[in-house]
Amino acid sequence: MTYPELETLRLERVGPVGWLFNNRPDQLNAMNSRMRDEFEVAWRALDADPEVRVIVHTGEGRAFQTGVDVTEIASDGEGMGRYRESVENFDFHFTAWHNEVWKPVITAVNGICAGGGFHWIADSDIVIAAADAQFFDPHVSIGQVVSIEAIGLMKRMPVEAVMRMAFVGRHERMSAARAYELGMVSEVVDPSDRLRAAAQELAEKIARNSPAAMAATKRALWGALELGLTDACRAGARELVSMWGHPDQEEGPRAFAEKREPRWQPLGDSNS
Amino acid sequence: MDYETLVVERDGPVGWLVFNRPAAANAMDARMMHELEAAWLELDRDPGVRVIVNTGAGNAFQTGLDVAQLSRDPDALREQSRRTKRFELRFTAWHNDVSTPVIAAVNGVCAGGGLHFVADADIVIASATATFLDPHVSVGQASVYETIALAKKSPMEAILRMAFTGRHERVPAARAYELGIVSQVVDPPEQLRAEAQALGEKIARNPPDALAAVKRALRNALETA
Repeated sequence: MTYPELETLRLERVGPVGWLFNNRPDQLNAMNSRMRDEFEVAWRALDADPEVRVIVHTGEGRAFQTGVDVTEIASDGEGMGRYRESVENFDFHFTAWHNEVWKPVITAVNGICAGGGFHWIADSDIVIAAADAQFFDPHVSIGQVVSIEAIGLMKRMPVEAVMRMAFVGRHERMSAARAYELGMVSEVVDPSDRLRAAAQELAEKIARNSPAAMAATKRALWGALELGLTDACRAGARELVSMWGHPDQEEGPRAFAEKREPRWQPLGDSNS
Repeated sequence: MDYETLVVERDGPVGWLVFNRPAAANAMDARMMHELEAAWLELDRDPGVRVIVNTGAGNAFQTGLDVAQLSRDPDALREQSRRTKRFELRFTAWHNDVSTPVIAAVNGVCAGGGLHFVADADIVIASATATFLDPHVSVGQASVYETIALAKKSPMEAILRMAFTGRHERVPAARAYELGIVSQVVDPPEQLRAEAQALGEKIARNPPDALAAVKRALRNALETA
């Protein structure tokens, strides 16, 4: 499958792993309007590629992501006003969650993750980080409110740490080691230049599992964030039962018994 | 009731519910699922039991459904499928509305459906050799109830990673402790039951009505998004 040529992002497939690179290294991968639009194209391309079982998202250069491009906002007369409608309606399309991507998504934080960069931490499934990665949220230090990305984080990690980052702004940074302690990331890669190799290895491990079962699991678990425990289980029942009678459910135990790799069905249209 | 697949006993104020199919890594067959419901209710209704400890005999804590046994017992499989589909399960303390505090003492591997008993316990301690994994997606199954319940009480990233890596990765007891999935790691591992009994006795010094009210209040808090 040929991926679209993008100006601010880069797409590449390595084996079963689809890579999405933030590619404005000289601007610390800040998201200008162009990148904001290209993200939707990128997620849809990787989601549609049947060869891609797992997606890894990382950044080129010394930053992972630093959120909205403040230079663009400050210089072109439009300011944040251009985003007013999409923000008021919470009509975003730049993360995997916004685009309802049900393939597993690994975020590999290669350096600075600041402000709006947390959208991609909050909205991915698994997060790993280079040992020299740093996390901070400067919104309030430049007179902006942080809400959506911090709310997403609070749903998946200890709240105190998120509140502290939100209020301290640019005057403090969280280390990768602390992010690991808090369960915000599950792996710190040291030396940092091994990050991409570690992400590829993890993704290949995950790619050995049933794509349909993982998509059903992902829908159930993300759906659970919207509901209380019992309601989430009742809603999850539909996803659980969706695998009953699926060919992968026969193939999994058979491959295990025969000591070989399973041959899974590719994700169907109903899962994309 | 005469239990075949469980050991149910009392030690002072502590009621013990022990998975006892060590040769099958304590997997749940039809009989065990039936006995679990009876055992939870028996211990919960016994006024002498102030705290319940749930652990496993042998090397494993619990490894989920015994699929091989169930496939030879079509009636049991049909009944289990019906309950699963409607989320009318009856094998954990939560499923059975147990009001007594429950400690899971994870003595070894806890895999797949075994995670139900970690997710649905109030307190979880583990031996230093315990490991946690969720092989569902590696055999073509979705992981739903166990991981939903775990995600409601743990950092979610760790649960998503466990769900998606399947049988290809395990969470060691030490990491489960760091993440707050367990509150105590017992080393040497042979001390696990003694530590669980000691913790149970500590909790049993508090008034049962207050414990039950706290449990109700905190469990109910999980019922809103």
